[in-house]
Amino acid sequence: MKISNIILFSFFIILLLFSITTYLNYALADLTNENTEVFERSSVVVRHSNRFQRNFLNMVSGLRGYLLTTEGFFIQSYDSAMQENEDILKELAILVPEQAQQQDLLRDIRQLHTYWIQNFAVPLLEARKNTLLSDSTKRAFDKFYRVKLVDGLEKDVQASLQRKFSQFINFEYRLRESEREKLKASVHNTKVVTISLTIISIVVGTGIAVFIAYSISSKMINMVIMANAIAGGNYEVHIHDRGKSELSQLARALNRMARILDTNITLLQRQRDELDQFAHIVSHDLKAPLRGIDNVINWIEEDHLAALPKGVVDYLALIKGRVARAEDMLKGILQYAHIGKAERIKEVVDVNELLLEVREYLPSRSGITLTVQTGFPMLFTERIPLVQIFTNLMVNAYKYHDKTENGFVKVYFKDAGKYYQFFVEDNGPGIDPKYHQKIFRIFQTLHPRDFVESTGVGLSIVKKILDDRKLTIHLESETGRGATFSFYWPKDETHE
Amino acid sequence: MNRIINILLVEDDRLDQIDVMRTLEKKQILHRLKIANNGEEAWEMMEETESSIFTGPPDIILLDLNMPKLNGFELATRIKSHPVFKDIRIFMLTTSEEHEDKAAARKLGVTGFITKPLKLQSPTSTDAFNLMIDLMNMGK
Repeated sequence: MKISNIILFSFFIILLLFSITTYLNYALADLTNENTEVFERSSVVVRHSNRFQRNFLNMVSGLRGYLLTTEGFFIQSYDSAMQENEDILKELAILVPEQAQQQDLLRDIRQLHTYWIQNFAVPLLEARKNTLLSDSTKRAFDKFYRVKLVDGLEKDVQASLQRKFSQFINFEYRLRESEREKLKASVHNTKVVTISLTIISIVVGTGIAVFIAYSISSKMINMVIMANAIAGGNYEVHIHDRGKSELSQLARALNRMARILDTNITLLQRQRDELDQFAHIVSHDLKAPLRGIDNVINWIEEDHLAALPKGVVDYLALIKGRVARAEDMLKGILQYAHIGKAERIKEVVDVNELLLEVREYLPSRSGITLTVQTGFPMLFTERIPLVQIFTNLMVNAYKYHDKTENGFVKVYFKDAGKYYQFFVEDNGPGIDPKYHQKIFRIFQTLHPRDFVESTGVGLSIVKKILDDRKLTIHLESETGRGATFSFYWPKDETHE
Repeated sequence: MNRIINILLVEDDRLDQIDVMRTLEKKQILHRLKIANNGEEAWEMMEETESSIFTGPPDIILLDLNMPKLNGFELATRIKSHPVFKDIRIFMLTTSEEHEDKAAARKLGVTGFITKPLKLQSPTSTDAFNLMIDLMNMGK
């Protein structure tokens, strides 16, 4: 399975778990809201109910007060309480949900209330009003009063009303209690589910992260080991991985790379060996016939010089010159081929002393002054290649110098951080910039070889020595303005 | 009375043969020279001398290293393991570069080396020619 798919898949699982948690909490919030509404409504219902009961008592006492005293004050109190109760009943009808039991109770209450008004309050009030007219009606009222209030039915109605109300209120209390219980249970459930889901999310997330990290890092480590092996020159390494993940693909690509590198480097090594062999054979085997030619000319000169015409002697000298040049070139090939094959031996090298030694190899020329800066550094480095570079650069500066007076060759250095930059400067004929690349190729000379005897390997050897060490050489020169060759050499090679 | 030295030159290169002949003359060494162009030819000539009553085996063998058929090493090995020829002085003709070959030849018990081309003043060839002159002067 692809790593990107695994990551996506696990991301979605965790996302799903969190969505469920969020939904549950949302639902809980909803439920709480609902519960609060129920609670508030129930409180209002209870409050109304209590108020209704209080009003009813006011009606009863208002009625009795009036019946006893016929004071208008009592009838007012009775009327306002009745009016309010009518309103309360209307409101309660709206507030009470359409649950059969509460609506039934409310209907009973309304009926009892109406019954009480119509059957007791209204007739008694009417009768009492009439008593103001005559005594006979006063007696009739007394009798009527006794019938209505004392025989107990009115008390039954009142008690029934009270009972209905306590039932009504109790129902509300029970409703609240059950709602509270429901909410409590819901909160508890939500808590449990949320915690469980969170724990599951953490476990699943951690598990997936560990799995991905492990599978990535173990594969990475294998590839790092392989890459290090390849860097160390061992190309016969292989990672066994048949997976479909991106890293498995990378591992297979690495395998392919190692195989191709192995093939190419083997080929390269074989070609290099062949080239070395070729250089060796060429320089070795061609030397023998050259030496033969040289021998024969020597014999002719030794045995027959007196008998030879002048022209022939000159031609023989030409042949000898060419033979010597060919031998030098063969030596050059061998030298060039040998660079980098010798064991690199490092030692403490005093560059001042080294330059004194190089001076010995310089051709003697009049009119050229050599200036060597003092205080060249001491280095721990390979001596022979450094001698070769200085020799070849300085010999060239001398060999090609065109001044017969006021000519100079200067050797100096600069500090360039981790390197020293060494300079060989001359005020000789200079080199046209279009040849600046060309002169570093083997056997490349800018002058006819008869003008200055040269094999054309000097600069190519310098270049190869520096290339082998990943160092660079620079040339600043224009025709007629002298030339400055500079190259970099590491300051500290103790750890290499 | 100077003695004539019998020399067998085993060398495939005509130029080197001439070189040796010229040098022997220049050094005024009284000699009788037989030339073999390769090791096999040389060995046949050696075997013939064994049965001849007038001419014995050579006093000195000048032996080139690189030759077709039987090369210098193989011939030297044969000579050094032969009951009659084993004491014959052998000088190897070498070029200056053949250091490894020289070491191997020394192990076989050769007397010395002559570096080609033959230089009259070269220390290596001087040893060989001095020996020849000594032999010559000793008479018999």
